[in-house]
Amino acid sequence: MNKSIHRVKTIAKKEVVEFVRDWRTIVAIIIIPILMFPVLFIVFPILLESEAAELDAKNVMIEIQYNEYPEDFSALFNQSSTTIALVNTTFNQSLSEPMADFDRIRNMELDAILRLNYTDDIWFYSIIHLSTSESSNEAKARIIDVLAQFEANITSQRISDGGLDVDSTLDPLRWDGDVSKSDVATEGEQAGLILSLFIPLVLAIWTFSSAIQPSIDMTAGERERGTLEALLGLPCTRNELLMGKWLGVATITSVGVLLQIVGLLFAIGYLATSDFIGIPDLSLAAVVLIVLSIMLFAIMVVALELALAMRSHSVKEAGSILGPAIILIIFPALFTQVINLDGIESFWFGIPVINILLALRELLLDRVIVEHILIWMVSSVIYATLAAYYAAKQFKREDIVTTLS
Amino acid sequence: MTNSNTLLKVSNVRKNFAEVVALDGVSFEITSGEVVGLVGSNGAGKTTLLRLMSGVYRPTSGTVTLGDDTPVHLMRDSLGVVPESTGLYSRLTAWENIRYHSRLYGVSDNLAWKRTVKFAQSLDMEENLSRYTKGFSRGMRQKTALLRALAHGPRVLLLDEPTAGLDITSARTVRSLVNQIKQEGGTVVYSTHQLFEAQQVCDRIIIIHNGVVKANGSPENLIATTGCETLEEAYVALTQEKARMRFEDNKPESGVTKLWHKLFRPKTPESGETLVVNSDE
Repeated sequence: MNKSIHRVKTIAKKEVVEFVRDWRTIVAIIIIPILMFPVLFIVFPILLESEAAELDAKNVMIEIQYNEYPEDFSALFNQSSTTIALVNTTFNQSLSEPMADFDRIRNMELDAILRLNYTDDIWFYSIIHLSTSESSNEAKARIIDVLAQFEANITSQRISDGGLDVDSTLDPLRWDGDVSKSDVATEGEQAGLILSLFIPLVLAIWTFSSAIQPSIDMTAGERERGTLEALLGLPCTRNELLMGKWLGVATITSVGVLLQIVGLLFAIGYLATSDFIGIPDLSLAAVVLIVLSIMLFAIMVVALELALAMRSHSVKEAGSILGPAIILIIFPALFTQVINLDGIESFWFGIPVINILLALRELLLDRVIVEHILIWMVSSVIYATLAAYYAAKQFKREDIVTTLS
Repeated sequence: MTNSNTLLKVSNVRKNFAEVVALDGVSFEITSGEVVGLVGSNGAGKTTLLRLMSGVYRPTSGTVTLGDDTPVHLMRDSLGVVPESTGLYSRLTAWENIRYHSRLYGVSDNLAWKRTVKFAQSLDMEENLSRYTKGFSRGMRQKTALLRALAHGPRVLLLDEPTAGLDITSARTVRSLVNQIKQEGGTVVYSTHQLFEAQQVCDRIIIIHNGVVKANGSPENLIATTGCETLEEAYVALTQEKARMRFEDNKPESGVTKLWHKLFRPKTPESGETLVVNSDE
């Protein structure tokens, strides 16, 4: 028994050492996971702000066609970057028909046209625009803002003219006090809810994807490089070999996943512009179960990837099998996000992949439901065992020593 | 009949890969202190036989035993194997490669180091032990693989074409090491398709052809038995039958693979058909 553990540890240690000595691995397993979310949280807002500023400064050309021009209407366009051309006209057709203006908009001679037709106390309007053009969309957005302001002014004026109080007429139903104080969920529970929407997704996808490269390298890669044959001639059993390699891949993958979570939490805690999220309130039982669920998931995923990679005839074949196989995780992961946890049927906790993702969602909300836990735990142990059995079967194949590549 | 000094015994071994018979009715014994050459053309079955002797493969029928009739796969710690591909990890140093295997053999680092240094001197590899094997030449890789196979003190050393692709000096060094092991009473199985090498290094030669043992004896004995003047002539006389394809090239295809190949395999002209070549080419 001791000999066996020693061999497994020796294999795993060598796999990790060899993997870590490749600078590309350091980038893929350590640098990218830890920096991905912080960079995203820094770069994305900057990008959004700069794009918004650029659009604000953009000079757009708007033509207003009218049969009666509202007083002070142009003053509502308070941006200096908006150029307005006024055309007095009469309308015989629907305002939405582009008619002769079709080409002027498509050729970007104008960014948008506002048509205003005043008939029987009603302002009919339409905006002719090109939805595939950024300038045209910006022009349309500015027109809509002005029209909203214009409509509010008219509405207020008419209510006032009718002898009513504008404020109470327009806003007869009001929330009293601070909305956030009326939510009985604690801040920690709210944080758990938000985290439960993406932590399981990140964990599942990253666990699967970061295990692909080491799994292939340690199986099909070893065979292709000719190192597997030397290894198979050693006194260690195929199961020890599998366990050693599994431990190696699991260690590398765990480090990657852990660093990504750290990066994500750091980005949320220190880089997010709003305080929309905090630290979730989790009981010790929930934390222990979260770790257990991730471990069971990792056992299954890594064993399955090692088996599929070992079954492949070459590194290329292994890559072309395991790469697309990530869909098996992405689809259930996305699907799980829309499942309502309140009153959820228990069978969901028995479906592979979905069971762990749902378990993580529940546990992040600190919902420790014994029935669900028993189902996902038993089913996950079964799936992990089946995956390990399949992997062991692949490792015991005689032809794993030869390659067709 | 089994000699009292018999160390490795191959008894009526047959090895099939699906419908392909790689080895059939192979029997021989190797006594302690002997250097035995496995000689044969490409695809003869040498590597398959070595893999059976190292416990990587199990025989379809028959037995491969070591010492007191223990199946060889249960005695792998008594073997040292150098596969044709050497099997070194490029991101580990030569010593780390050796130490990795030694640890899996259950040998302490100290003992493995002592043995490694002893043989490294013979192979002129002492200064390269701390270097990563990534930049190693074929010769250096082969020497490292030899050191790795010797570090745990095996009873039998199995070498699969140890001088293939080596320059003259490296090949000589490897042969000298085998001679040194022989002087020290070691047992070596040496697979090669170089007859002169087998003649130089081995006490006994086993000629394998198309998965069958065609001859088994000392070089002088083989020459005498066949009535030829040289070992090469004796080999040709014993292996006149056309050599078959390698097992890997001859693996049966599944139905899906057959269909796939039928659809996409490049066409070659049928016999008697003329291949039309563009006159401009």
